[in-house]
Amino acid sequence: MSSVFLFISNESGKAIFLISGDVLVKSFCSLSDTCPFQDSCRSCSLLNAAKNYLAGTAPDSRIKTLDGELSAGIGEYKIGKNVLLKVMGLGSCIGVILSDVSTGICGIAHVLLPGASDRGETKYAETAIEKMVEDMVKMGARRSRITAKFAGGAQVFKHMSLDILKIGDRNAISVEETLIKKNIPILAKDVGGEVGRNVIFNPADGSMIVKYTAKGEVLWL
Amino acid sequence: MILMTDLDKLGEEEMDVLKELGNIGTGHAATSLSKLLNKDVYLSVPKVKVGEIKNLSREFIGEVVAGVIIALQDLEEKKSGYLYIMFPEKSARKIAGDLFGMDELDEEMYASTIMEVGNILSSSFCDASADFMNIILLPSPPSFAVDVPTAVIDSVVSQMAKNTNHIILFETSLSSDSDIKIYLALLPEPCLLDDMMKIMGRL
Repeated sequence: MSSVFLFISNESGKAIFLISGDVLVKSFCSLSDTCPFQDSCRSCSLLNAAKNYLAGTAPDSRIKTLDGELSAGIGEYKIGKNVLLKVMGLGSCIGVILSDVSTGICGIAHVLLPGASDRGETKYAETAIEKMVEDMVKMGARRSRITAKFAGGAQVFKHMSLDILKIGDRNAISVEETLIKKNIPILAKDVGGEVGRNVIFNPADGSMIVKYTAKGEVLWL
Repeated sequence: MILMTDLDKLGEEEMDVLKELGNIGTGHAATSLSKLLNKDVYLSVPKVKVGEIKNLSREFIGEVVAGVIIALQDLEEKKSGYLYIMFPEKSARKIAGDLFGMDELDEEMYASTIMEVGNILSSSFCDASADFMNIILLPSPPSFAVDVPTAVIDSVVSQMAKNTNHIILFETSLSSDSDIKIYLALLPEPCLLDDMMKIMGRL
């Protein structure tokens, strides 16, 4: 079955829908906090616009299709062009997004540890960012146009007896320092707190979507 | 002598020993849970997996859990590994409610109840492993968080990831009635496997 990712923005808000056949498989919507249907979309101007677009009845310049999605596992990074980039279930880990709007090449890293690795392991913040920049440039991105957004580094434990679990802050500092050192402008960040996060990058408008895993709250940054 | 058992080259025999350790440990944990809840508790067939850290998120359930993490140490205070107990939220509320005979508990009370259940389960797990193969495991006090399983465990994983790209996961679940289910995972450090192998060698 053919699935299609649509990004829609209009005066009421922005949303990404994954539609497979006639079924709405998932959605990320900037209105989900106020939406009466929450995550089970029924109908709204955004969804209706998507349906009309798919039915071919209404060509709409405010709708863009994305070529699928890529998800980076723990300690990995993924690079793509016009694809949705995801890292899921971040606690103390950080999702780092780099993107070059001029060429549309972007990447996401799931950083596990602060600092750099002398063996080139991308679970470390510095190494992951360096390698991701290199790979993006190889793919055609312009080094000077790359910007960054990142989120994660929480301290999910309300009650904690093990100090080693306090790694979130160190991860966040390490990511930020690396980006500053490499002259990569930071456009947005959402770090710390007590909440786990899913981080999604929407290349159609360059926004980072942060979904708090426990509470379900969604931010578009 | 420090033997560093190579995680990605773990043999059939090592896996079996680990499975047996986990089995006996969770068997005892199930007995304690049964006594605590005064209900029958069932144990699923446990699995031992060696996988790459990058794929870890596929191993856990997708829903929000009340997660309890307990570090295990040997007598020389070496880290032997971690026990990770996941209570899906509904099960956690049910267990806490049943223990207090109330439907509504304040959050503080709820958290400490689940931590205490985690404590009891981990203590019986550790006692059993000591009986079984003379491995002394001392449980740390529990750490508690409510979130998706990977978000809760990733700080532990970062500790382990400093030395390896692989992780061993012993997984099983305990269930009681239709609405109580608990997932248990053991993440051993290489030194626990080394200890196990040494003891097996002597037998």
